[in-house]
Amino acid sequence: MSFMQEEKRPGKKKIKTTRVVNGLDVEEEVWVDDLEAPLFKPREECRLLGTRMKRVDGPAKLTGAAEYTSDVRLEGMLYAKVLLCPFGRAKVKIDAAPALASKGCVHARQLVDETKYLGQPVAVVAAATPELAEDALRALVVEYEPLPWVLDRGQALAEGAPEVRSRGNLGRPTEDGDAGEVEAAFAQCAVVVEQEYSVPVQHHVCLETHGTVVDYRGGEDAIVYCSTQSTHGIVGDAAESLGLRKAQVRGIVQHMGGGFGSKFGLERAGTLACEISREQKRPVHLMWNREAEFLTSGNRTGAWQRVKAGANKDGRMLAMSSDVERYGGIGGGSHAGLPYLYSVEKSLRKHASVYMHLDTNCAMRAPGHPQASFAMESVVDELAAGLGMDAVEFRKRNLNSPAHLRQLDRVAELIGWNEHPNRTAPGSVDGFEAVGIGFGCSRWGVGGSPVCQVDVRVMNDGSVTAEVGSQDLGTGTRTYLAAIVAEELGRPLDGVQARLGDSRMGNANGSGGSTTTPSLAPAVQDAARQMRGVLSVAAAEHFGCAPEEVVLDPDGARAPGGKLTWLELCALLPPEGASVRGTWQSDLAVSGVACTQAARVRVDLLTGRVKVEKMVCLQECGRPLNRLALESQIRGAMTQALSYALLEERRVDPQLGIALSADLETYKIAGSLEIPEFVALVDDDDLREGVAGVGEPPVIPGAGAIANAVFNACGVRLRHLPLTPDKVLNAIEERKSS
Amino acid sequence: MTTWNVRVNGREVSVEAPPMARVLDVLRESLGLTGSKEGCGEGECGSCTVLLDGRPTCACLVPIFQVEGRELCTVEGVAGTELDPLQRVMIEAGGVQCGACTPGIVVSLRALLDRDPRPTRAAVRESIAGNLCRCTGYERILRAVEELVGSEEADA
Ligand code: FES
Ligand code: FES
Repeated sequence: MSFMQEEKRPGKKKIKTTRVVNGLDVEEEVWVDDLEAPLFKPREECRLLGTRMKRVDGPAKLTGAAEYTSDVRLEGMLYAKVLLCPFGRAKVKIDAAPALASKGCVHARQLVDETKYLGQPVAVVAAATPELAEDALRALVVEYEPLPWVLDRGQALAEGAPEVRSRGNLGRPTEDGDAGEVEAAFAQCAVVVEQEYSVPVQHHVCLETHGTVVDYRGGEDAIVYCSTQSTHGIVGDAAESLGLRKAQVRGIVQHMGGGFGSKFGLERAGTLACEISREQKRPVHLMWNREAEFLTSGNRTGAWQRVKAGANKDGRMLAMSSDVERYGGIGGGSHAGLPYLYSVEKSLRKHASVYMHLDTNCAMRAPGHPQASFAMESVVDELAAGLGMDAVEFRKRNLNSPAHLRQLDRVAELIGWNEHPNRTAPGSVDGFEAVGIGFGCSRWGVGGSPVCQVDVRVMNDGSVTAEVGSQDLGTGTRTYLAAIVAEELGRPLDGVQARLGDSRMGNANGSGGSTTTPSLAPAVQDAARQMRGVLSVAAAEHFGCAPEEVVLDPDGARAPGGKLTWLELCALLPPEGASVRGTWQSDLAVSGVACTQAARVRVDLLTGRVKVEKMVCLQECGRPLNRLALESQIRGAMTQALSYALLEERRVDPQLGIALSADLETYKIAGSLEIPEFVALVDDDDLREGVAGVGEPPVIPGAGAIANAVFNACGVRLRHLPLTPDKVLNAIEERKSS
Repeated sequence: MTTWNVRVNGREVSVEAPPMARVLDVLRESLGLTGSKEGCGEGECGSCTVLLDGRPTCACLVPIFQVEGRELCTVEGVAGTELDPLQRVMIEAGGVQCGACTPGIVVSLRALLDRDPRPTRAAVRESIAGNLCRCTGYERILRAVEELVGSEEADA
């Protein structure tokens, strides 16, 4: 007799069943899905999850039928517009009477007496049509008295500079680390690099600007359509601006044209729209124009980073000290800190904000991380080059996570590193062009939060809905909401109607930090499995078997006792159908995903132009839900990183106090001509059961990888983004003459 | 206000508007065709792209008086009752995320394919060079067209 340990399979259980073999009843034990355990089906059993699913809102978006906030048209609606201050800072005096007297204008007022930053809205008007609102803006009589401003670091830190904040323009630094220990560690180093790296302020450039349409006509109820990343999050602010209670306000976000971190609240456009609507008792439409988007809608913090780092002859990083200044305008800025990702034995760091009269930074796709990553990946590369060591090998010696080690090997292979001639020394600046390869890695915490409430309903005519008041930023939330339910109930993808973007539906978190999927998908799966239980019980009663013996598949339900079509099965439900509510399941959310990227560039040595030819990304995400959406997120992130590396930079004229890059002509983002060949891969060696979002991690390492590739191509190290042809050409000339 | 006669998506329309009203506003405000988006209002993003006598044009830059008696096609006019094959492959290949750039891109690509049913990848890239997309990274949009026309020509 042997005592076998009871076998365990996640999400499964064993039941006894009877099968008819040659006319005889045979008792046997079989593994079935545990209907009480809200786990996903095993990957190999899935028909939908993990495949490339077409987005369910595709047809609406491709035909122009999808209604975005800016498309909402309501009876009697007013169009509101704002006037932006053209100076770095100014006292403002506005006579609104001529505007109010202009045709169709019903509201015109001054917003501030003194501005705090370049481009701050100073007046708002509302009129019957967009053109009449423009006319009203022009009719405002505005007097500005410019006040001294600080728009760059030099101005901010100059003696006697006007104070952006009451305690001076240099925030109190935070410091940690032991200076003595770090000094001692530097003494052990075989190679030490001491350099400065900078990144500019980057804009989100959502194709749909910030904006809100408020449907309030007096009375007790209001509907607020908003281009936001948080359907539930806007309700409180809207209620306050409208003078209503939260329960009287309904937020709607059906389709939204990109957020990237800039659209968490109702934002200024929204509060203004609510205030006007409250006064006028009429619907109000207020969308920012592109200039307001660039000047008043937040941005990615710029940073200046002085870094000293050293490694021993075996390529282990022993010491690092860093001194980082964050440029977040009137905000404090964000920076993830150095050392970033790589392990360094002893480190010392100092961080401080430098304040200026520019709009505040805000969250932007992995806030603070690309800045730190650019400096870190550059330093890592410089140390490897200083030792004459292979850049991949050097990274592996300083990364702890096994995921990064295997990803580096795979990515190196996919980009062609192993056949590349410049593995231990860069190419030269001689000739017409040079090709180089660079690497970068990142990690993102992800993690879900237990706030989502998902309602799944099956009606007795066979229709199925899955709903939750979350939002789809374009990332594919709607599609996996339908797919998870369809998978579990054996339905085709179009057999489940997904509804979201309405604050009257179940609670959901705002979409940021890649947390939507790990917060929402587990709750969807919980609801889906509960509903499968309900249907299985109904079928089991019909067949006279155990609920676990019922299999739901695209044909309907089958069990040892027979078969039912989907419609026959649903007809067993009561007239009101069945509904269940799912909540978050911690087992189904992954925390911590690794990403590794490589870029191959071609540098034109005569013009300084850098062309990214290929980018490879390997991204962990736990269990992939929809590969089409995941790969698209990854490519989009790499494109934003490429754009950050080569093109984007907020520019102002500090002397004249004016913005120089507040439109899409002077602030260039990557277009179809800039993009390389992409290899965007979900890391299938990540076998964790839970899910993760991938909005943030693949945007982090790209800029460092590209700068490293330029060095690898021709031996010029560029430490200040963006890598514009003038900087590259100067560096090439310098290297030629040295 | 003046009355303008324009053919929009195959139908004759008369619309009242001041002569300098932007075609984009006439479409969105007067005709209820909100598929064309305003991303910048300055001819830089391409999300308002429409066909004017078959040529891709930024609707935010053209005043209505210039289109009197001419023909406009917007994203709403690309599909009949069924999706256009181009729209279908865009969905299948994953060429759309938030969708704010999508109407303009569909219109630009339709114009290209009407001109040249078998474009090279370079021609496809060129045709949407004026359409900015912040989400997708463009590659799947190029791929969609390749799948549609069945060519795999490399950039040259
Ligand atoms: S809105 Fe016309 S080009 Fe941007
Ligand atoms: S899909 Fe969002 S801008 Fe293109």
